[in-house]
Order: sequence, then structure tokens, then C-alpha cells
Amino acid sequence: MAGVLKAPGAFAITPHKVSVCVLVQIYASPSQISIPFPFSSVSQHNRLGLYLLALTKSCDDILEPKLEQLISQLREIGGLLDHWLTDHLTSRLSSLSSPDDLFNFFNDMRGVLGGPDSGVMEDDQVILDPNSNLGMFLRRCILAFNLLTFEGICHLLTNIGIYCKEAISSCSSYELRRLDDSGNDLESLSEYENMDLNLVFKKINEEMEARKRATERVSFHLHLPKELSTLVEDIEVFADPKSEHNDKGRESSSYSSSGDLLRDVDLNGGVFLRTNWQIQGYLMEQADAIEKDGSSFTLNAFELTLRQLQKLAPELHRVHFLRYLNSLYHDDYFSALENLHRYFDYSAGTEGFDFVPPAGCNSFGRYEIALLCLGMMHFHFGHPKQALEVLTEAVRVSQQHSNDTCLAYTLAAICNLLSEIGFSTTSGILGSPFSPMTSVGTSLSVQQQLFVLLKGSLKRAESLKLKQLVAANHLAMAKFNLTHVQRPLLSFGPKTSMKLRTCPVTVCKELRLGYHLISEFCCEGSTMTTDGAFSTAWLKNLQKPVGSLVLSQDNSSRDNSNPFLFCTQPSSIPGSVLQLVGSSYLHRATAWEIYGSAPLARVNALVYATCVADASSSSDAALVHVKLIQHLAVFKGYEEAFSALKIAEEKFLSVSKSRILILKLQLLHERALHRGHLKLAQQVCDELGVLASSVTAVDMELKIEASLRHARTLLAAKQFSQKSGNAVVGLPHALASLSYCQSFNLDLLRASATLTLAELWLSLGSNHTKTALTLIHGAFPMILGHGGLELCARAYIAEAKCYLSDPSFSVSDNPEVVLDPLRQASDELHVLEYHELAAEGFYLMAIVFDKLGQLEKREEAAASFKNHIMALENPQDGEDPLSNA
Amino acid sequence: MSSKESCRNELRTAIRQLTDRCLYSASKWAAEQLVGIEQDPAKFTPSNTRFQRGSSSIRRRFRTNEITSTPPTGVAYVSTPVMEEDEVIHGDFYLLAKSYFDCREYRRAAHVLRDQTGNKSVFLRCYALYLAGEKRKEEEMIELEGPLGKSDAVNRELVSLERELSSLCKNGMIDPFGLYLYGLVLKEKGNENLARKVLVESVNSYPWNWSAWSELQSLCTTVDILNGLNLSNHWMKEFFLASVYQELRMHNESLSKYENLQGTFTFSNYIQAQIAKARYSLREFEQVEVIFEDLLRNDPYRVEDMDTYSNVLYTKECFSALSYLAHRVIMTDKYRPESCCIIGNYYSLKGQHEKSVIYFRRALKLNKNYLSAWTLMGHEYVEMKNTPAAVDAYRRAVDINPRDYRAWYGLGQAYEMMGMPHYALHYFRKSVFFQPIDSRLWIAMAQCYESEQLHMLEEAIKCYKRAANCNDTEAIALHRLAKLHRELGYPEEAAFYYRKDLERMEAEEREGPNIVEALMFLATHYKAQKRFEEAEVYCTRLLDYTGPERETAKSLLRGMRMAQSSFPSMDVEHFHP
Repeated sequence: MAGVLKAPGAFAITPHKVSVCVLVQIYASPSQISIPFPFSSVSQHNRLGLYLLALTKSCDDILEPKLEQLISQLREIGGLLDHWLTDHLTSRLSSLSSPDDLFNFFNDMRGVLGGPDSGVMEDDQVILDPNSNLGMFLRRCILAFNLLTFEGICHLLTNIGIYCKEAISSCSSYELRRLDDSGNDLESLSEYENMDLNLVFKKINEEMEARKRATERVSFHLHLPKELSTLVEDIEVFADPKSEHNDKGRESSSYSSSGDLLRDVDLNGGVFLRTNWQIQGYLMEQADAIEKDGSSFTLNAFELTLRQLQKLAPELHRVHFLRYLNSLYHDDYFSALENLHRYFDYSAGTEGFDFVPPAGCNSFGRYEIALLCLGMMHFHFGHPKQALEVLTEAVRVSQQHSNDTCLAYTLAAICNLLSEIGFSTTSGILGSPFSPMTSVGTSLSVQQQLFVLLKGSLKRAESLKLKQLVAANHLAMAKFNLTHVQRPLLSFGPKTSMKLRTCPVTVCKELRLGYHLISEFCCEGSTMTTDGAFSTAWLKNLQKPVGSLVLSQDNSSRDNSNPFLFCTQPSSIPGSVLQLVGSSYLHRATAWEIYGSAPLARVNALVYATCVADASSSSDAALVHVKLIQHLAVFKGYEEAFSALKIAEEKFLSVSKSRILILKLQLLHERALHRGHLKLAQQVCDELGVLASSVTAVDMELKIEASLRHARTLLAAKQFSQKSGNAVVGLPHALASLSYCQSFNLDLLRASATLTLAELWLSLGSNHTKTALTLIHGAFPMILGHGGLELCARAYIAEAKCYLSDPSFSVSDNPEVVLDPLRQASDELHVLEYHELAAEGFYLMAIVFDKLGQLEKREEAAASFKNHIMALENPQDGEDPLSNA
Repeated sequence: MSSKESCRNELRTAIRQLTDRCLYSASKWAAEQLVGIEQDPAKFTPSNTRFQRGSSSIRRRFRTNEITSTPPTGVAYVSTPVMEEDEVIHGDFYLLAKSYFDCREYRRAAHVLRDQTGNKSVFLRCYALYLAGEKRKEEEMIELEGPLGKSDAVNRELVSLERELSSLCKNGMIDPFGLYLYGLVLKEKGNENLARKVLVESVNSYPWNWSAWSELQSLCTTVDILNGLNLSNHWMKEFFLASVYQELRMHNESLSKYENLQGTFTFSNYIQAQIAKARYSLREFEQVEVIFEDLLRNDPYRVEDMDTYSNVLYTKECFSALSYLAHRVIMTDKYRPESCCIIGNYYSLKGQHEKSVIYFRRALKLNKNYLSAWTLMGHEYVEMKNTPAAVDAYRRAVDINPRDYRAWYGLGQAYEMMGMPHYALHYFRKSVFFQPIDSRLWIAMAQCYESEQLHMLEEAIKCYKRAANCNDTEAIALHRLAKLHRELGYPEEAAFYYRKDLERMEAEEREGPNIVEALMFLATHYKAQKRFEEAEVYCTRLLDYTGPERETAKSLLRGMRMAQSSFPSMDVEHFHP
């Protein structure tokens, strides 16, 4: 009831737990030999032990398995023993027919446990250590039983009856068949031993009928054997609608089945929740899964599970939080808002796995966490203004309640918010006097405020030893350094020199610092949930040979690029840490991209895709793919890029507002420009513009890019008419950009600017060729090492031109000096489909051959030249990747 | 409406039939209405009418318009024929079963009737089984209560009952009572649409079963559902509609229905109590108190609806009357949720909030869906500064009935108390959404916007405007509006609201600093506007007050005279042509 927290970990005795007790008794029967009676080998014995451990710990569902599920699992692990195990289990369960039987049963259980002096037990004797996992489980069961009232015992007895009856009704035909095989197993059906077979069937028949009428459908989980289902009139077994949506193979079975189980809720009895610990574990796992890849969940299937859980455990408020997450990632604003408020109203933020009640009973509740979540929710839905308002309140309330942890997280969230949203929108809010940054003063620009905030939140996180947050802050810092041009903080007046520069060293340092802490975290050891996850994985592996073969093939064909994915072991590193590691790699890739080393960027992206892709959110994974494909386009040409794009498209079909689509348009645009298809380029540009201002919101960044590309298209159009502008006018611009690149450490750009400069010198006349050549040779290492195809080709052609226009250079003496770069260039340009430049290359080549007197080769080059010119002038192509999309 | 005599006859028969089927609360209700019909004084001796004497003087005092017993025009009432009894001679088994039933031995009663086929016997058997299941369910609810609040106790008879009743229904072998039970079972099973249909059929063929109407009412959660019902016109339908309207917060409609019904059922305690409840919702506390006093005089051992009376006494801070009421109900029936609620109210009034919570908790133990107890308990926790508990209690109220604006308001207040005004806004928004005509809610929301953390004055102004439009009895809104406009630098608007506020205070003959403030502002404002005539009026009025304002007013006046004398011609000519 209101304001009173129930003791966590309440443990109720249920039929399933009685079953486990029976199995534990088999596992640890006190016998004198090292391998107890029914087992034939140690490994068999261990297998059962492992299975029991998994049963008590796994958190893959909210409900305890039915007897029939238990039996089928036993069949898988038991091997030869399976008959014996199931028979023993069913007969033991059905022998419990009066309350006194239960009393005796639990008395027997006590015998399984070793005494407190278990150290002195005889060798070779298997006795359960009371402090082992199974021993604890048994003790809890015994305790829970002893606490039951007589009414409670009566209910347990009824429930065991229902539990057995359901199983028998679904696998009775199996039992009956065996009954025919060997007539000595009669006692396993003791409940029905006095009835003849017809009567059994009639009874089952009736039961099914009643159920059918009651729920107007047949419960799906009763996988009826064919023989029986033909006896019971036509039963429609539902085709599972969810598995169709969910056919990506990942855990689809567990989600859809939990949805189906809801249909049983009305059938009273037989549905038992797992222990509180297991359910919390389940909820945490699901929360992780949603946050990782919300779109793989179907909204309704999971909602149904949650509703069922809520019905079964109305005081378990965590459910509301999961509902919030579910609706958040399915973009249901109102439901998300409602459930968020409901969760915090009920729990005051103090319920959940991670909550340790403070020693001095703090009656305040932790509503600041509600504010933090609400702020993040607004941010998610694209309401930065509201998000900032709420987060501001969160800062105030956490200060008020001196919840430093929450404060640190809130500050980090604000930093994230500030760095994500456009600055123009925030200025109004941040300037207001009640922002959290009042101490700093309002004269600072938003960037500066962000910097101050980042520093502050980093310091706070460090002092609170929140390792993940520290790492995240380092990453944010790196990102900040990466994207912002530094200028002296607090500069006043016009006299201070505006020293603008970027600092790759700092970025690198931040990234390293972040990574260091993450690796430290990994050594810290696993938490309780991962323990449960192991058990869950173990149970899932049981079913592997049955159904996953198809899926695995499917999977491996789908992503050839990362064979690691498929054979990932359940790792002991929590998903959130892996995500941080992943984003650090992403940052590295971006950093290298900006500072001009494409190979290193690619390596980092590849590391990300192979190592942490399965832990990352799907949007991050998509981003990495985008990067890799862009890289392909620049270095391997469009052909390969488009084929890779196709794979990526299939893989990230579900990601909404896909970056993949944008990438596709970008590639198309680039290619059209290179090919000289200006109309197509314009069209693609327009499409990009449309994408930018979609129904939901205007993506400013995208819009800017669209207009930028538009400008480039126009520029390309202009270049045709006025091929060469005044070179002298161009010179200062090139020089200026050179110096900027130098101060911002943009090495690749600098190289390309140098190249442009050289081209300009070249066009000024033949007496400048020496200068141009020196410049080109200076830039060559950078260009060849890191530059893309286009840049390389341009450099080669410029070099050849230099030689050719140098009056002191004679072609016939040294033809390879010119021909080699030209060949290289034309090859690369062919891949790139850059017709204009390719034509130029072939033109030059033809001239050279002409001079050398190699007429045949000259004609060849001339033909290629003609081809490219034709392609440039008739921009029509059969295969258009846009049309088949 | 049908004549009193025919109503009387219908009810008399109905009571016998209902009692025969052990539908006791329905027969109790019918009997109450029967006695509520005004007797023909000529026919009866004084002893007969004594019960109805009451203190009609008070009642008349508050009856604004004398109600005539003519029905609303254009409504033709169908007269449903009184049902013929199918088993005129009760079987002996039936008699035995009924006695078992009366002794609450339901299963025995059902067993006795196992082979009987008459409609009445079948009904009683099914009904007994249903009650046996309910009884067991209640017991199991306590036995099974899990640590996470789950109790999966269900009425285990429902499945078999539904099967039997549906087959009877299909074969047309079911009477209206059977239909009622069938509807009840369907409702419990969650099949609301069919339940509604079946119940409508039941009340159309036998309208005197108030229990059936009540079940139907609980299934009418929106006006649309109500309008979709195909009900034949019987005078019982009026009772039903009045009650549904009340649940749907259409208090005025409900009130007019009840007042109409009072024409025939002049002395019905039931109607009187319902009227009191409707008026309570309209916040007419004075009248409610009088009605309840009257009601208690006639029916001193009544516990039903007395929680509403205690709420009125609480608002009016009548300590002794409330304690008297609490004493009386506890002597009558200690374990009624209403009784516990009344005691809780009493302790709350005394400021003993811990004890108050104990009694609200007891009320909730007796009825976990007792809406007002959750809300009231929330208020107590707020008083005890246990905000998380308060929030929890309010939230439970809201989850039982999402339209409960009081609980939404409580939630907002709780969060505001914790210094989370932005978070609180969500709840205030909810509360004004469900009750847009309550100025207090708008004012609370406006104050939230005004809080120093948010300081969203534009929004606050919008809220105050809404509050001012819906009859703000405490007259906060106008004053705040004037002030806010003044602070934001809109003197014209500020003057407008100050004038309105002033008019209002004059009309209500209020005194206080607000008047001085308004006069002061208006005087200076008009002076600055060079509208000396008006300014002078306000200044003169200020002279009636003591304090520094009086001196200011004097100097203002002096200044104006000076100004007027220096430029007399223009102004005078403009204003006095």
C-alpha cells in the first residue's frame, strides 16, 4: 500500500519449485558411490546439476515453465535418463495427494541438505552444501513452505493438481503410447489409474471444451500431439502473427511466445510468476534490449507481456517503466509520458534492481530521476526546449536532495542536449537567468557554456567514481574538441588575438582516457544479472539444435562481413560498457576521417563493426556501415559501394529515418556529378531536400547538406561555360585555405589545397612549372597514403601536365615519367566514372603517344577519350541504382 | 409519470417477487421508494403518515420551484405488465433452499435445488452458486495475497454459470432475473458489450430490479455508451438516468431528473441523498448540510452516503457535529467503509493525521476501490509531509478513475511542494482537462507557472484568465491578473483588471488591502493618462482610508489641481463640450 515498500525477493512456493526440489533430490541423493544411482557418468550428473542451476537463475521469461515444458527440456538434457527422470518426476508429483504428503515431502528435502558440519562428511558422498546455490534454493523452498498457512498448503496442493493435469492432458498420448510399449509404468499415471482410457480422453475432451468456451480460443502453449488434437474436435492453432514481423531471427521465439502466454491468463491456476529476482532480471534484460534496438520489438507483443505481468504482480511497479521504454522507442508520445509519470508516482524512483535502500530511511523518494528521465524523453521526441527546462529542474532538485550521482548524470544529459541541438534554438533558453549556469554568467557563448558544463560534469563524475559516466564524458569532450574550433576561453575586447586552431592531441588524449576507464571497468567482474544471463543463454542453447540451423545459415549469408557476430559467447562485459567502447571507436573513426587518414578511419570503423556491433544500438551500427561504404566509394569506386549498400539496406531495413537512405542519395549525387549527369544530380539533390524536411521534423543538418550539394551542382554547371577562370584571382584563395587547413590540422584537405595551388601555378604559364611540380611532390605522400581515388588521379594528371608543359622536358627521352601517372590516373578515374577528368587524361596520353610515334596506342587512347566525352555528353545509362531501389 | 397509485402497486408486487428470489438489496431499494411515495392523506390515519412527516418545512425552504407531478411532455411511458409468477405453489424444496439461502448457506441451497427446472428455482440455484463463489473468492483474496500484491482469486463458479446461463438464454428459457444474473456473470468475466446487452434486455422486461440498473450503470462509462442503449421508457429509467448522469459528472442534468422524481416520490430518502450528493458536487454546501440533517432526522441509522455529509461538515469545520456523526455511525455499523471514512475525516479535522490515515486505510481494506478514501488519504499524507506516500495514494485514485480531477490536482500539489513545478504542471494540466470549470484548479496551475523557478508569467496570465471566467469565488484571479499585467508593463490591461476587481469587491462588500491597492493604481494610472476626472474619483475614495495611501492620494489630488489650473482650457473643453 501507499508509501510502504514490500521486502524484495519474496519467494513463494509453487508447483514448479516443488518439481525442481524433486530433481534436486535426484541430483543429490545421499548414496555411497560417487555417481548416484540413475546416472551412468559424471558428465551426465553434472549436466543435470547445470540444468538445475540454470532453472533457478535464468531470467528469460516472467513465468515459470509448465510441467510439460520442464519435461521436454529434461528430455533434451537427460539423454538416456530422460524416461527415468520424467517418470520419477511425474509419479512423485502425482503422489502428493494430501496436505500431509506435502509435509512429508519437505521433511525429506531436509535430508538432502548436508548438516552445518558438512566438512566432515564422508568421501564420495554427494550431499548438497547448504550454502551452495542449489542448497540455498532448497532452503528457501523449505522455509517458504514452513511459513505457509494451512490454507496456503491447500492452495499449493490444488495447484500441483492443475499443474500435473495440464501436462498430462497435453502429453498423455505420449504417456499412453509408452504405456502400450511397456505396461509397467502404470503408477506414473496414478491419478488416472482407475479410469479406462476412454474416460481419460473424455475428461480431457471436456476440459478442452470448457476452456474453449471460456476463452473462445485454445491456449496456444498446449502443443497438442496430433493424435489427441484429432480427437478433440478441430482446434485452430493460431498462426503466430508476431513471428512474421520478427523474422530477423534474434530471439523472436521468446518474445512471441510470451505474447501468446497472455491468452492463458484467464485460465485460472497454472500460471506462476518466477521469483522476484528473476523477474527483475528479465525486466532489466528487456530494458537493455529495447534501448539497444527498439525497433526489433513489436509494440503490442511486448505490451501484452507487460500487461500480463502487471496483472500478476500489481505492486511490481518496474513494469510501468518498461512500458514507458516500449512506447518511447515506438514513438508513442502520450503513452510514454503517461507511463513515465505513473512509474515514478508509484515507486518514487526507489524501486528496481539497482536500488539499495539507504540506511537512514530517506522518505523523500528520488523524483529527480523522474525529471532526468522526462528530460531525456523530451529530447528523444525532439522537444529540446522542454527537455532543457525539465533538466534544469532536475539539476535544482538533485542539488536540493544532494543526489550527486543524479546531478552528474543530469549535467551529462544537458551537455549531450547542447551538443546535439542547433545552437540557434538554445540561446534563448540558456540566456535566461534561471539556467543552471548562472554562476558562469550569461556572457558566454553557448559553446563556451557547453565546455564549462562538460568540464564540470567530468569533474563531478570523477569525484563520484562513476566510471561509465567519466568515460562517456571523456567521449563527449573528445567530440567537443573534434567539432569545435578552439579559441581562448574568456576573450574580451578586440585586442586579444583570435588564435583559432584545433587540437588533435587533446582529442586523442580524451579518447584514450575514456578507453582506459572502460577497460578498467571490464576487469571489475560481472554483476548479478550477467550471471542470470549466462543461465538464460545456457537454457537457450538447449534448444539450439532444434530450430536455429536455418537461422544461422540465414544469418551468416546476411552479414559476411562479420563472422564474429555469429559465434559470440555471452560475454561478461555489460552491454552499456560495450556500447561506450563502441562509441569511442566511432569517435576515433570520425576523428581520423576529419584529420585526414582514411585508412585509419576505416580500421576503426571495422573494429567497431566486428567487435561491438551486437551490443550497439542499431543506429550506431548503421552509422558505421555508412562510413565503411563511403570509404568504399572513395577508394574502390561506386560499383562496390552500391553492392555494399544493398547489403546494408537489407540489414537496417527497420531503422527509421535511415541514414542509409541518405547515404544512397549522397552516393548517387556524387556519381552523377562525376559522370556529368547534371540533371540527375539536381534530381537527387531535390530528393535529399525532401528527406530533410519530412513530416516529423526538419533536420537542419541534412537540409544544409542538401543545399550545399545543390550549390555544388550549380557550380559544376558553371564550370562548363567558363572552364578556366582567372588563375591569379584563385591564388590567394588557395593560399588562405592552405593556412586554415594547417592551423586546424586537416591534413588531407591541406594536401588537396596544395594540389589546387599547384594547378593554379601551372595554369599561369610554363615558367611556373617548377614551382608547381615541387608543390605536387611535397603533397604526394599525403595524397597517396590517405587520399581517395579522385585526389590521386588529379595529382597524377597535374604531375603529367607539369612535365609536359615544362619546355626543358622531352617526352621521347623519358616517356614513362609521364605515361605512368597518366595510366594510373585514367584507371582510377574509370572506376570513379569521372568522365571529364578521364577524358583529359586520355587526351594527354594520346598526345604523348603521338609524340613518341606510337600510332596504334595513340588511336587507342583517342578512342577512350572519345568514349568518355560521349558518356559525358549523353548522360543516359541503363542501370540506374535509384530506379531499382 | 404514471400515477402514484400505479407506481405503488407495481412496487408492492415487485418487492414480493424480489424478496422471493433473495434479491434483497433490490427489494430494499424498491421498498424505500414505495414508502417514499406521498400518501393520500384522506385515506390514511395519522400513524401511517408519521413516518413521512419529516421536517418538510426545511425541505420547502430550499425547494426553489414547486415541482408538479406531470411528466415531461412528449414522453410516453410504457406500462410494463407485472410479471406473472410461474410457480404459484412454491415447491417444498424451494422453501428449504430459500431458508438455507437466508442463513447464508449458499452451497446447501444450490444443492437442494439441483434437479428443479422451474425458472425461479434455476435462478435461485444459480444465484446461490454465484454468491458461494463470491464468498469463497473474498476468503481466497486474503489467503492468496502475494508479496507483489497479486491475488488471483476468482469466482470459480463463473465458468459453469456462464455456460448454463448462455445455453438457457439461447433456448429462450430465461426470465429477466436470469438475465440479470447472466449480465452480472458476463461483466465479471470482462465481456462488457454482451453484458450491457443482456442487462438492457433484463431491465426492459422487468424494470423494478434496481440491482440490474446499477450493474448497467457501472457499465456506462461514457455518454456515448449511454446514448447507445436501447431502453424502453419506464419511470424506473428516470432513476437510472439520474444516477448515470451523476456518475458522468452531469450534475445539473442529474439534479433536474431527481427533482422531477421527487414529484412522485416526495419522501424518498434515496432521492434526497442523491440530491444532496449532486449539490455537493456543485459545491452548494449550505443546502447539502440542511438536507442531510433532515435525512438523519428521518433515518437516524443510515450509513450510506454519510461520508458526503462528513465531507461537508469537514469543510465547514463543524467539530462537534462531525464527532456526533462519527459516534453515531460507529454504533450503527463499525465495519463499513463509509464509517471509517467519517472517522478519518474527524481525525483529520482535529489535526491527528496519523490516526486519520489508520481509518482511511481501514476503509480501503474494506473496499479497495473506494475512490474518495484514496484521495483523502493522499491529503493526509500531504499534511504529514510524507509526499511519496501521498503521491502513491493519489496515483491509485487516478488509476481507479482517471477522471478524478481532485486526485490529479493533489498530485500536482504534491510535486509543487517538492519544488518540482515543471513536473507538477503535467498533473495540473490533467486536472483542468477533466474539470475545466473549476477556478481553483486554474489558479493552482497559474501559481505553478508563477513560481520563481518557472517564472512563465504569460502562461500564468492565460490560466488566471480562465479562472476569472469560471466564477472564481475567492476572487484571486482578477487581482493576480491586474498585478501581473502591471509587473509586465501593460498598464492598460492592468487598469482594466483592477477596475473589474474593484467592481467585484464593491459588489461583494469586501474590505481589505486589495481595495486600497486597486484604488491607488487606478488613481496614478489615470493621472498619468491625464484623465483627471477618473483619477480624482479614485483619489477621493482613497481619502476614506487611513495610512500612507491617504497622504499619497492627497498629494496626487493637489498635483492634479495644479495641472488642471495651468492648462484648464483644453481639457475642460474636451471633456465637457
